[in-house]
Amino acid sequence: MDELPLYSERPEWVDVVPIPQYQDVDALAPINYSEEYQDATDYFRGIVKTEEMSPRVLQLTEHIIRLNPAHYSAWQYRYRTLIALESSLEDELRLMDAFAIEFLKTYQVWHHRRLLLTALRSVDAAAAELAFIARALEADTKNYHTWSYRQWLLAHFNDEDLLWSGERAWTENLLERDVRNNSAWHHRFFFVWGSGVRKGDEDREEILRRELTFTKEKIALAPNNPSAWNYLRGVLGHTGTPYASLSPFVKPYTATSVEKIDVVDLDNPVPSEGAELPCVMALEFLADTFEQEGGSQIPKAVETWKLLANEFDTMRKKYWEYRIKEALQASEP
Amino acid sequence: MSEAPPLPSLARNSHIKHCKLCLSGLPSSQVEMDSSRAAVGFYCLGALDLLGAKITDADRAAWRNWLWAQQTRGKYGTGFKPSTYMTPGNDSDYSEYDTPHLIMTYTAMLSLAVLRDDFARLDRPGILHLIRACQREDGSFSALPVGGEADLRTVYCAFVISSLLDDWSGMDVDSAIAYVRRCESHEGGYGQTPFGEALGGTTYCAVACLELAPSTAASPRETRMSPSHRERTIRWLLHNQTASGGFCGRTNKAADACYCFWCGAALSILGAADQVDSAALARFLADCQFKFGGIAKAPSERSDPYHTYLSLAALAIYPPPAADETWKLPSLNVLWNATTETARWARKHIPASN
Ligand SMILES: [Zn+2]
Repeated sequence: MDELPLYSERPEWVDVVPIPQYQDVDALAPINYSEEYQDATDYFRGIVKTEEMSPRVLQLTEHIIRLNPAHYSAWQYRYRTLIALESSLEDELRLMDAFAIEFLKTYQVWHHRRLLLTALRSVDAAAAELAFIARALEADTKNYHTWSYRQWLLAHFNDEDLLWSGERAWTENLLERDVRNNSAWHHRFFFVWGSGVRKGDEDREEILRRELTFTKEKIALAPNNPSAWNYLRGVLGHTGTPYASLSPFVKPYTATSVEKIDVVDLDNPVPSEGAELPCVMALEFLADTFEQEGGSQIPKAVETWKLLANEFDTMRKKYWEYRIKEALQASEP
Repeated sequence: MSEAPPLPSLARNSHIKHCKLCLSGLPSSQVEMDSSRAAVGFYCLGALDLLGAKITDADRAAWRNWLWAQQTRGKYGTGFKPSTYMTPGNDSDYSEYDTPHLIMTYTAMLSLAVLRDDFARLDRPGILHLIRACQREDGSFSALPVGGEADLRTVYCAFVISSLLDDWSGMDVDSAIAYVRRCESHEGGYGQTPFGEALGGTTYCAVACLELAPSTAASPRETRMSPSHRERTIRWLLHNQTASGGFCGRTNKAADACYCFWCGAALSILGAADQVDSAALARFLADCQFKFGGIAKAPSERSDPYHTYLSLAALAIYPPPAADETWKLPSLNVLWNATTETARWARKHIPASN
């Protein structure tokens, strides 16, 4: 396509009247268009004017999108043309596979896919999309649009066997490769807690146990990982579980060094050797536990916040001091 | 604590030059801005406003004229389009592919306030009509009346436009608020859409919306965010300030200049501004200054108007302690994202009641 002459030089486009962009005043931040883009968009405006929807429109809009993937009007017109021509939406998806990788960061690429999948109304197509997304995330494991698209697919088609059932194993695999991938942690929260109850997950007590075990293991592996601690807090908050139930697990992470332990407690894995201790997030968790317990525990919370403010998390000094002030005020008789 | 090196100056003149250069024209490599030029204009003009740059009468008149030329009327109501990139001629009504755009309407209205326009040409009922046409069943707003992205960014723009007009008759406030709340994630931040991962930019949009909308019978303003949710959001936002001094937009990501505004402004709305380490924040942004002008997303990256404006806006909220004169910036209206002076002008000239 790159070697093709301008549309204005192609005999097969001679019936289209190109329309230049209307500009009668000095523009704000005008773009110095390339000749290729100017020519293509002149013909596009001409096409929109006559409302032509034909195979060559698909070719033209593809060309424009390659030059400017954020050209939302070209995307819009392309989608309507596909529907009008009853084109194969599967073929369009395959073309989009290449686009998605090339223009990963462009919102429109993912929005277009969403429209295609909505029109296809096929759970099988949605399942194939999950596989495609997994491949796309290889290139950029935290791409926001890609993750949003996956969450939309799952919620929109909502099929336990074909869609939801593979999510846990898949995210676990991602976390195995990068335990700090917050998008994967978020996704786990979404499908375990945020979007109904998965098939096989009906026993919520058991699920809570499973999730706590999983998270504790991941924290043991990399204690200073806010994604895992935020997940832990999210689970406890969502299920109304008191923080104190985690105390036996959290304590060793608040020590200044890895303690020698004679009896191995499988429920409460200890920090891995060489872990950077004390862990700021564990200290924060401990202080919050004391605050939740209230009463005579408040002074312990204050002591812990002081450690954070003055020694281990000085950037947030003012925050920890604020927490101290609030807790003391609240505990006054 | 070890002695920190003194903060370098804020290179005001080169930042002004960068923005003026972008206003005068963008290279062909910036072609992706074709469909969002009104927003680029807003970042440039907003930065000039914060820096107190001189704007000549000729430029002021030309820019106002261009912005008004983007106001367009048609069957879905009136609003501003990103540019004339889809405009075939001086026709009276827009086509389905050249409709007004909510984000562009928000940025164009603020840009005109920066330029101290009298807003005599603003089609107020038409804009309310557009907002109505963009609201969807789930309470959110699509960027265009014919579709397009619908997320917290577009919801925020619909809220600010209503607030600027001082007229909320263009939307169902309760369903919009319900949508905003559905975007809250387990971390305490808000995702771009329901189920989305907590993100700094959309967390700003969410807390600004909850503050901007007037009380309704179903949703009095004070009860929109429970104390525990508020604390959780503040906690998440503060934890986004990284060791570099800058804020990241998501947990475990690197700091980025724009999130210094998004997270910092959200904290300011939540009443937690005094808990931010403003000295570290300024040090990070000082490092993001590009040697040829403008501010980049991170040290040793290239600058752009978006990061330039948002960095300056962050510094307007968080002036560094004991810094030299160059760092002095005017105060900011954090909810609308404009200087207090510009916001005052907008408040005086935009509402229909005036
Ligand atoms: Zn950024």
